[in-house]
Amino acid sequence: MTAPFATQTSQARAGEWFVLYGLSVLGALLLSALLVEATDGDWRPVVNALLDGSVRGKGRWGETLGAAGPLLIVALGTVISGRAGLVNIGQEGQLFVGAAFATYLGFVIGGPGPLNVVLILFFGATGGALWAGIAALLRYWRGVPEVLSTLLLVTVGAQLVAYGLRYDWLLLAPEGDRGNRNQVSEQLADDNRLPRPDLFGNEFPITVYIAISLAVVVSIVMARSVWGFRIRMLGRNPRVAQVSGVSGTHYGATALMLSGGFAGLAGACMLTGGAFAFGNYQLVPGFSANIGWTGLLVALVAREKALIAIPIAFVFAGLRTGSSFVGSTGVEGRVTDVIQGLLVLALLVPPAVMFFRDRHRARVAAMGRV
Amino acid sequence: MTGEEFVSAGAGEALASPAPAVRLSGITKRFGSVVACDEVDLALERGRIHGILGENGAGKSTLMKILIGLVLPDAGSISIDGVHQQIHDPLVAADLGIGMVHQHFSLVEPLTVWENVTLGEVGRLDPESVRNRVGEIAEQYGLVIDPDARVGDLTAGLRQRVEIIKCLRRDPSIVIFDEPTSVLTPEESVQLFDSLRNVVAAEGRTVVLVSHKLDEVLHATDDIAIMRQGSVVDRQSAAETDAPSLARAMVGREVSLRSERAALGLLDDELAAARMNQATMNRADPILRVRNVSASGAGGVTLLNDLSLDLAPGEIVGIAGVEGNGQRHLSDLLSSLLPLAEGSVEMNGQTIPTGRSGAMARAGIAVIPEDRHDSGIVLEMTVAENLVLFDQSRVARHRMLDRGELDNFAREVIKKFSIACTGPDAPMWALSGGNQQRVVLARELAKRPQVLVAAQPTRGLDVGAIEYMGERLEEAAGDGVGVLLISSELEEILDLSHRILVMHSGRVAGEMGRADVDIERLGLLMGGAVA
Repeated sequence: MTAPFATQTSQARAGEWFVLYGLSVLGALLLSALLVEATDGDWRPVVNALLDGSVRGKGRWGETLGAAGPLLIVALGTVISGRAGLVNIGQEGQLFVGAAFATYLGFVIGGPGPLNVVLILFFGATGGALWAGIAALLRYWRGVPEVLSTLLLVTVGAQLVAYGLRYDWLLLAPEGDRGNRNQVSEQLADDNRLPRPDLFGNEFPITVYIAISLAVVVSIVMARSVWGFRIRMLGRNPRVAQVSGVSGTHYGATALMLSGGFAGLAGACMLTGGAFAFGNYQLVPGFSANIGWTGLLVALVAREKALIAIPIAFVFAGLRTGSSFVGSTGVEGRVTDVIQGLLVLALLVPPAVMFFRDRHRARVAAMGRV
Repeated sequence: MTGEEFVSAGAGEALASPAPAVRLSGITKRFGSVVACDEVDLALERGRIHGILGENGAGKSTLMKILIGLVLPDAGSISIDGVHQQIHDPLVAADLGIGMVHQHFSLVEPLTVWENVTLGEVGRLDPESVRNRVGEIAEQYGLVIDPDARVGDLTAGLRQRVEIIKCLRRDPSIVIFDEPTSVLTPEESVQLFDSLRNVVAAEGRTVVLVSHKLDEVLHATDDIAIMRQGSVVDRQSAAETDAPSLARAMVGREVSLRSERAALGLLDDELAAARMNQATMNRADPILRVRNVSASGAGGVTLLNDLSLDLAPGEIVGIAGVEGNGQRHLSDLLSSLLPLAEGSVEMNGQTIPTGRSGAMARAGIAVIPEDRHDSGIVLEMTVAENLVLFDQSRVARHRMLDRGELDNFAREVIKKFSIACTGPDAPMWALSGGNQQRVVLARELAKRPQVLVAAQPTRGLDVGAIEYMGERLEEAAGDGVGVLLISSELEEILDLSHRILVMHSGRVAGEMGRADVDIERLGLLMGGAVA
């Protein structure tokens, strides 16, 4: 059956993958350059601006690490639900709702500093998990596809938080503390924030350490733990899981809620650790700032491998921080959104190409037999 | 035998008496080592209904697929109306006036009847004329249907009418029906056969009815060809035969009966007797009781219908029957994959909740599923992982998998069950079917089950693997495991079982002890005839 592939050595196959990935990324960059040229720009200064904005400029790689942390955390949650065979695409909403939970309970409880930070992170994760839990409930109680429910809950969540931000008994800061802004939460006290160490003139929240540790944990749990084994079984063959006592409802719902919990944790991390880029320790409309969507892309590109998600998260964070500098070159800063999109496509092309090639080879081999 | 002879013979005959509408000669088709059709000769006359009867895998469907150009034969020739033809494509068959109503519907549910009928045609669409044509055909053959009804709203019987109208609209001179009643109620079947008669009587078409049901072949056809293992073994006239002799012809191959083998000294007589005795003795105290279970699937189709059975420790009970009569759902039920509408499953007197994940496995029921890719293995996981899908306790410590332990366990099993693979970490998809089946067997036996369900356990395996599987099942029974052997291979059932139940339409149609097997009655039960 596998005769057409057996003739190919695994080395040759790995080489093929490598070349394919190289070509696709190159193609994406080339297209991006063409796009810049076509919009009356020059690609060289754009590349320079991207590099300055993401790593070369003063204090910029701290900024990039700050964005990479939450991106990676979101991606890790997505890895978990993806391995369970679920398609969660509502991280943006889970992140926002998680951040709102964290804000509300952080102020309601408002305990002593460092302990409260931990509580806030916990509440953020809880909020995200509960938000994803609605999708899980719909999925396993009524059979609503989680693809739809998670996506639609993003909009619902945004409206709900916006509502909360209009009333000071919910999230809105008291009149004296909000100046002339009308949809903003109170600012977290100094001792309720995540530490932001300074490394070589680059300041960043410890979120990135949390994220990397979590990546290692997720990687080990998925590969080595009994739970991870069962989740993988469920994702790959739900009927075998059903026979073997791995309940789709139980394990699937857990995975989906964990996925939401990670997004919520990312939201809480942005709140407690974020500099100005993420609301300046305050919850505001649009707080989630596409971190949820981009984190989903990171997981997609990393092909559900927790450790591979680490470098990918850094690349995407770099594109994000770099884009703010692109504007100064006279080219629309949002060109990086297109570059990002092209890169995602580029990284998805090789598996598709390989699939069609394998099928073609199999077909040729089959024709040979007739 | 060459094609040329037939052309000349056909041409010669055409002057005197008309050549048969279809003459198949020496048709042979192999799939790998399996011979689906073995030098089949068959002539189909105009104006008659021809029944082709046979068990699953007898080669009926392959033969028909060859006739309509879906499958290319390895050897043999086809002549239509005495002229040699090469049918290498369904379009060629259509041009020659051969149409087929397939077993599985190919209708688009959201579209209306007339839209479905005209689907696949080229040229300008003229709704009015299509509608009229549907009306004409409906009237002519008694296939009453509303051309504007949405197909999704129709019952299975009406959908089949749409398929038939689709086929007749091209005015074929030869119409093939492949297992047409498998989705129909008895009343719908009667209606179908009435319209079949009309099709033949009105225009002298040739009709072929492929079926494994004795009754319908007997009542709806004129001439019957019985196929077995790729060959036409018998031809009978419906008017002159009866169900028992058809049943005998359908299943009456040389069976290697246990008693015969014993007589030939091939089997240890005392051992066999002891085993039989043990099984008989224990029958008073069954371990598994399935009580009046009923279940229905999507669209209210009955899957299991008031089925009951008992299984004692050390006993091998064979479930015989033509495929599609609920065997798969019985195995699903015992795999926790099918929730019940009615009835209960008891192990050691305790009721096991149905459809709850892992409940059956925890109660001590192991299953070798019919389709291992569907519910037996995870292709993307390794061999080692597939061996511990149900029970990870022996290779886990503190809820973490111990890779070394898993590796050792897998190596042990691979050796014991002679699983051919590159090692414990080989991906499951890289294994051959027979070795995948051994992995399933090894894992299921590792559960130390009290009941082992083996559904079509030797399908697609080679002779050596079949023998191996049989030995393991007997060994398990010898160790006191109750074995439920579900198989459409009658020979396998007769070879291994102590007791035989026949399933038909989701229920147990009859039971017989191994010692008093009556092949004729078995055939009748399988064909759904009351016996």
